[in-house]
Amino acid sequence: MGQQQVTGLTRSLSRRDFGRHAGAAATLAAAQAFAPFMFVGCRPTGVPAGRKPIRVGLLHSQTGTMAISETSLRDVELFAFERINATGGLLGRQIEAWGPDTKSRTDLYPKRAGELIDWGAAALFGCWTSSSRKAVLPVIEERDRLLFYPVQYEGNESSAHVVYGGMVPNQQVMPVIDWLSSPAGGSMKKIFLLGSDYVFPRTANFVAKKYMATKGLRPAGEMYLPLGYRDFGPVVGLIQASGADCVLSTINGDSNIGLFDSLAAARVDPAKLPVMSTSIAEDELRNLLPENVAGQLAASCYFQSLPTEENRRWVAHFRSEFGHDRVTGDPLEPQWGLVHFWREAVERAGSLDTEAVRAAMREGLTFAGPGGLVRLDPKTQHCTRYFRVGRIRTDRQFDIVHQSDAPIDPDPYPQIAFPGWSCDWTEGGITRGPEVSIDGDI
Amino acid sequence: MHNFFWVYDLPTETFAILMIAVFVGFYWAGLIFLRPILRQFVKNTRGANDIVGYVLSCFCVFYGLLLGLIAVTAYQNASETSANVTHEAAALSALFEDVSRYPDPYGQNLRWILRDYTRYTIKYAWPLQRRGIVPVDGTIRVQAFQEKLIDFQPATPAQEILHAEALRLFNTFLEHRRMRLFSVNTAIPPVMWYVVILGALINIAMVWLFDMKFVTHLLLGGLLSAYLGTMIFLIAAMDHPFRGEVSVTAEPFEALYKHMVEE
Repeated sequence: MGQQQVTGLTRSLSRRDFGRHAGAAATLAAAQAFAPFMFVGCRPTGVPAGRKPIRVGLLHSQTGTMAISETSLRDVELFAFERINATGGLLGRQIEAWGPDTKSRTDLYPKRAGELIDWGAAALFGCWTSSSRKAVLPVIEERDRLLFYPVQYEGNESSAHVVYGGMVPNQQVMPVIDWLSSPAGGSMKKIFLLGSDYVFPRTANFVAKKYMATKGLRPAGEMYLPLGYRDFGPVVGLIQASGADCVLSTINGDSNIGLFDSLAAARVDPAKLPVMSTSIAEDELRNLLPENVAGQLAASCYFQSLPTEENRRWVAHFRSEFGHDRVTGDPLEPQWGLVHFWREAVERAGSLDTEAVRAAMREGLTFAGPGGLVRLDPKTQHCTRYFRVGRIRTDRQFDIVHQSDAPIDPDPYPQIAFPGWSCDWTEGGITRGPEVSIDGDI
Repeated sequence: MHNFFWVYDLPTETFAILMIAVFVGFYWAGLIFLRPILRQFVKNTRGANDIVGYVLSCFCVFYGLLLGLIAVTAYQNASETSANVTHEAAALSALFEDVSRYPDPYGQNLRWILRDYTRYTIKYAWPLQRRGIVPVDGTIRVQAFQEKLIDFQPATPAQEILHAEALRLFNTFLEHRRMRLFSVNTAIPPVMWYVVILGALINIAMVWLFDMKFVTHLLLGGLLSAYLGTMIFLIAAMDHPFRGEVSVTAEPFEALYKHMVEE
């Protein structure tokens, strides 16, 4: 049999046989050669689309003293980007976010910002303290990137490379004084200014004093304490001795624990001597004993308890993603809005180029967020904000006792405090007035 | 070998069909183009089929052993990685329960960080691992947790016991986490793959030497090549424990996260 086949195979091929074999071989060879190219187009579920993702940088402290506040901010940013990715991405591309740890060290912020830009971040989101924002400014200005900064701050600043989402004094400190001195707020006349010793409290109180002067009011006292200060017993005594009707507190961070513990220990009744805090939100309440803070007040643009359908949905979605005991608050809500402003600007510009995105933002953007309708002011690159006052409940949430009729336009340079200063990025940028000394006597 | 990682992006059945198609296609193509040349070496040898058959049998014993051992190695790698992931999730779960007994705000802060770590592992670390990239941002979460855990000062004997147990569990968790990260690039060494591929080529070439009808060759050789392709697919699919559909999944972490979120 073998011999027969050897004979069979060694016979000369006919032209038809040759054509048939050659055709089959060519088909097989082609199939084999092209198989990788045919199959490479297939992709399993969960693998991002082939187009290069858009990279964004998150600048937050995830360890150290600021971690407790900033990690929530990082989470809401990730949440926003995940939502955008889930709905088709941006410009047909997925968004890839990276957030290295800035370890609550101001000196690390510019370093990390540079690393993120080297990595390819088209925009940066984050920072918390004013010192961290100011440290990042030279890097983003030199390397032409936008920073989306969500936290309330002292104003007296405007950079074409920063989009400010939080409140400035004319949206928070000045309305607080209006409310406190109104019958609804208790017609307070003697307001004690108490703050941590750094740029925000000092500048905010500078504006507060100027504004109080226009209403014929003078502070009952003014005091600054180092960040992290805890021994508030003597301070409470001084406040009581000053005859103050209320305290306007710009105390930040862990010092609030000491302040409210001391107030409780001195049996100070919040109904008689309330503390109105500008830097306490739901996240900060986690570290405070409810019985020590219940009844105290806070001024903000957003509270988790805001009774709107949009807010309920957002809070529920956030909690279903991160846990049912997680809380939203200011500045999580502003940052949520800023991510959406960036998204809309990029879509309008059809590009990630900083100048194109900025130009799109200057067309005027609005966002109906959980805290209500917000408009990005093209002149100042700050946002309009509702002013709200909340009274702290025992469940670490707020009862909203006051809300402005409409969102308040931002003014980073209130003329009562910074005469001659203004900013309009649609026409020329910053107009400089005379130098103002924050520490100067009013 | 990195040039071939795209196969792990294919659905398993497509990957398998592709491997079989490549092997059968190669066999058939060689049957037409190379066989006439190779046959020259044995065409006048008496009992050539028997000789080729003996050599092939002998070769197949060694090759089969090699394939078997490599398949076991790949399976063990995948199995150990899977067990390690389960242990990491179990340690994390126990740690979560322990820190839940801490007084607030310590307990709440620690729970939040562990929940964040678990979410990061599922949503961000796993897709990176599937691409052969060792995820590094989990380290930040671990450091944040460690910072807060060490910050806690037990005030009662019960808290002291609880804290000691949490520290022990934290170390166990760290150990398993580190092993998972080491496993990201666990794979059969390239040299082994070269031997496997060379062996497959020799195997196919030997079958070409058989003297059979063309159609019989197509059928029998095709079947043998298809099975060779299947074996090599099996090894490749199990290799790289985090790549492809036949891989270690984040399921233990997903189940844990569901519990953490609902708590």
